[in-house]
Amino acid sequence: MTKRLTILIAAVAAVLLAATAAGAKSTDTTITGAGSTFVQPLVAAWTPAIGKAFGYTVQYSGVGSGAGIAAITANQVDFGASDAPLNEAQQSACPDCIQIPWALSATAVAYNVPGAPAHLNLDGNTISKIFLGTISNWNDPAIAALNKGANLPDLKITPVFRSDGSGTSYNFTDYLSSVNANWKTKIGTSTQPAFPAGQGAKGSSGVAGLITRTNGSIGYVDVAYALKNHIKFAAVRNKAGKFLFPSLRRIEAAALAFTTLPANNELHIVNPPKSAVFAYPVSTYTYVIVHKKSAHAAELRKMIFWALTQGQGSQFAAKLTFAKLSTNKKVLVAAEKTLKQIQATGN
Amino acid sequence: MDPNAISLKATGRGRRRLLANRVAEGSAVLAAVLAIAVLAVVIWSVGSRGIGAINLDFFIKGPSSDFFGGKGGIAPALVGSLMLVGVATLIALPMGVLTAIFVSEFAPVQVSQQIRLWLDVLNGFPSIVIGIFVFTLAVKTKVPILGIGHHQSAIAGGFALAVIMLPLVARSTMEVLRLVPNQLREASYALGVSKWQTVIRVVLPTSFGGILTGTTLAIARAAGETAPLLFTCAIAGQIVDWNPTHSVQSIPLTILNDSESADPALHQQAWAAAFVLILFVLVTSLTARLLLEHSRKKLGLQQ
Amino acid sequence: MLAHVEAASVPAGSLPRTRHLGDRIGDGLLYGLTALASILGLLVVLAIVWRVADGAWPAIKIFKAGFLWDNQWNVNLNQFGARDLIIGTVVTSFGAMILAAPLSIAIGLFLSELAPPAVRAPVGTLIDMLAAVPSVVIGLWGIYVLAPFNANHTAPLIHSVLGWIPIFGGDPHTESTVFTAIVVLTIMTIPITSSICRELFMGVPSELEEGSIGLGATRWEMVKTVVVPSVRGGVVAAVILGLGRALGEAIAVTQVIGNFIPLKHTIFAPGDTAASRLANQYQGASTNTQIAALIYLALVLLVITFLTNYAAQRVVKRFEFQRTGGA
Repeated sequence: MTKRLTILIAAVAAVLLAATAAGAKSTDTTITGAGSTFVQPLVAAWTPAIGKAFGYTVQYSGVGSGAGIAAITANQVDFGASDAPLNEAQQSACPDCIQIPWALSATAVAYNVPGAPAHLNLDGNTISKIFLGTISNWNDPAIAALNKGANLPDLKITPVFRSDGSGTSYNFTDYLSSVNANWKTKIGTSTQPAFPAGQGAKGSSGVAGLITRTNGSIGYVDVAYALKNHIKFAAVRNKAGKFLFPSLRRIEAAALAFTTLPANNELHIVNPPKSAVFAYPVSTYTYVIVHKKSAHAAELRKMIFWALTQGQGSQFAAKLTFAKLSTNKKVLVAAEKTLKQIQATGN
Repeated sequence: MDPNAISLKATGRGRRRLLANRVAEGSAVLAAVLAIAVLAVVIWSVGSRGIGAINLDFFIKGPSSDFFGGKGGIAPALVGSLMLVGVATLIALPMGVLTAIFVSEFAPVQVSQQIRLWLDVLNGFPSIVIGIFVFTLAVKTKVPILGIGHHQSAIAGGFALAVIMLPLVARSTMEVLRLVPNQLREASYALGVSKWQTVIRVVLPTSFGGILTGTTLAIARAAGETAPLLFTCAIAGQIVDWNPTHSVQSIPLTILNDSESADPALHQQAWAAAFVLILFVLVTSLTARLLLEHSRKKLGLQQ
Repeated sequence: MLAHVEAASVPAGSLPRTRHLGDRIGDGLLYGLTALASILGLLVVLAIVWRVADGAWPAIKIFKAGFLWDNQWNVNLNQFGARDLIIGTVVTSFGAMILAAPLSIAIGLFLSELAPPAVRAPVGTLIDMLAAVPSVVIGLWGIYVLAPFNANHTAPLIHSVLGWIPIFGGDPHTESTVFTAIVVLTIMTIPITSSICRELFMGVPSELEEGSIGLGATRWEMVKTVVVPSVRGGVVAAVILGLGRALGEAIAVTQVIGNFIPLKHTIFAPGDTAASRLANQYQGASTNTQIAALIYLALVLLVITFLTNYAAQRVVKRFEFQRTGGA
């Protein structure tokens, strides 16, 4: 019996050794990052390319924007990623932190309604009411009014939201706050809004999963996740009156509509003005957050510069419905300028 | 039939009592069958849904970096879990055994009652609170010692698991030490052997099997714990990492993260990882039980 | 005379007055090490309580005791009240206890009294294996197997019979619900409680059982009048211990409960518990107030589980007292 146990242990050890040999790399610089699940697919696509270009091993953990900010503030990782800009409290907790917009995409309003059209028409007020719980059935006249001729079933609406600290929640509530005064006063903009109706799930992936599993559900999630999981998403009405679902051109249009930048790079591109006729109203930048002084400063500068330039190439970004950061030249210039603030410590 | 014969068949109240008996026995059987059925369904669900993802790649590769597809593996999580459980055992086993020795060999009754009490209290703490505690202790502090401090690490995670394992190891060791017949100890003292030699040369070897059993059960428990790792060892990279001062992946967290995903490939990975975990936990538990039987027989005790 | 023989056989002064120095050091070292280990263990318990209380202190100063009965959880406005989270914790755990207690007692009886001896060991092992299944796996199974089953079969069935009672009202076709969480917790509680019950029932002296049978009782009557009453205290303690386990369970619950407050009046709706909210929000907490509020929540949970386990201990003590007649 002891012999068999020994053989079993030896076999397990052999498998693990093979695993190590296959998986481990030689002494590389390891750059650790954590945060937004929104940008996680893009970072995952960048990782092998960065490895090839510089020999860095990027280890990224999608724990949500809130947790990413907490992690970089506490110096647990080399960079944090968040779709929500640092708020006052967070900036004062991390005075050394700078935020650099490094990707541009949009939040899709995704739903699971059997028999509904591929892109339901919805507007900000209706979406607000749905997530406030005042519109609770898919055959509600408010929805029918926007979708003449669509076959909307008598089905309870289940709103799905992020239960963790999420930059996507920030973007979504930012949009709702700017189009609906009721939402602004009642719930406001937050990474962890107190949604009065529906169910929560953890991570973009969790929300996509819950929507897929729940008949009659509606939620908000990064476009890439909706596309990947074949979830239908809504055509949202912008200020110009057009119903548009997110696409590269429409995200670019939203980015181009905002030309002023504050010093801390905090960008809000939701609900663009009427002049941006083809803009998708729930678009957002997403940020990488780093310390001005850090152990891996030199590597971070190289890596982030690569991300701002080559990382925006279509084989990475467009495939995942991330529009080029260079769409709005001002933003790119500001990003590169902020990047220069990173200095190496005397390591 | 003999007209004077008395029928033994129950009537009236007797019939009702026998019926009540049947119902009660039936309910008990039903309850046991229900519990076993649930176990069977769980194992079968996990096995049938996960088996498709189990191949060599699953054990050797890490997660795939291709967002739109690509099957990956759980090699980093396997290695990570191994390290976490290893660190936890290294901490909990000596502490638990030493505590048990103190209680059974040295402490006066009042003191040993107190210690048992504290161990029971510790055992009752929710594992998520223990995770928060280790986070404030090991991750939040600014000074890195032994690789812990200001960032998550396998050591921090292993420490959290050790806190959970400690009462289990200590209590089971105490039970086994109690079962060692006093005559053995007394015979040893009578021969002039010192206390420490008695403990190390006589008591511990006799109870070795039981200690091993208790530790194995505690390991099985620690391998499946998720909550303590959420804040102490969750932000980890996607490759195999043997450095305990880094944060590492772990099987339970991989299952948790993949379980809520919409991607069918990740689902399957979650089921497969769950299958591997269940297999490990069940095999170790069964082994522990067999070891217990073995050691009980050695001590000459019958069930 | 005996003394005379003994004295003659042992030369005077040859027995050592003191033990070897090595032995004295060894004994002292062992004593010291083991005592140290025990003290460290005790220190860990105290450290946990202290760190949690310390971390909660900023929130305690702001919200005071109102935290327990206020009901909002608004990160934006930094307003936190844990009432529904506490109620959710209590409802899910008590619900699990109500389901698990009779099942566990029945299983304990089955394994100790009613099963044929050959079946007892394998069935006992199987039920212990259920205890070994990790909570995250039960949660995974809960999401994809149990929750749809509940939404499509169990919940509508209960609703059709008992739907007139508010707690069973509402739309039963939801998957992530308080009800599913209750079932998950029941599955996790049963192995602990039933194994303690089994030990207790097996410990009832066989003379008592046989005496009762000899007087003409059926097996069920014997169990009802002899076995269960004599270990009643222990059974209560076992149930309370199971309750304690359920109160602290975070992972399996958070996977199936829907993560939503305020609670609805029905169990067929999403809800949340203290442990589950900690698991979801602690990592990504964005303000210091939120972090402190979450640790305050952890403190409340700690106190609740401590009181529950303490209650179980007291019951065991009283039960021991009754059983041994104060000996």
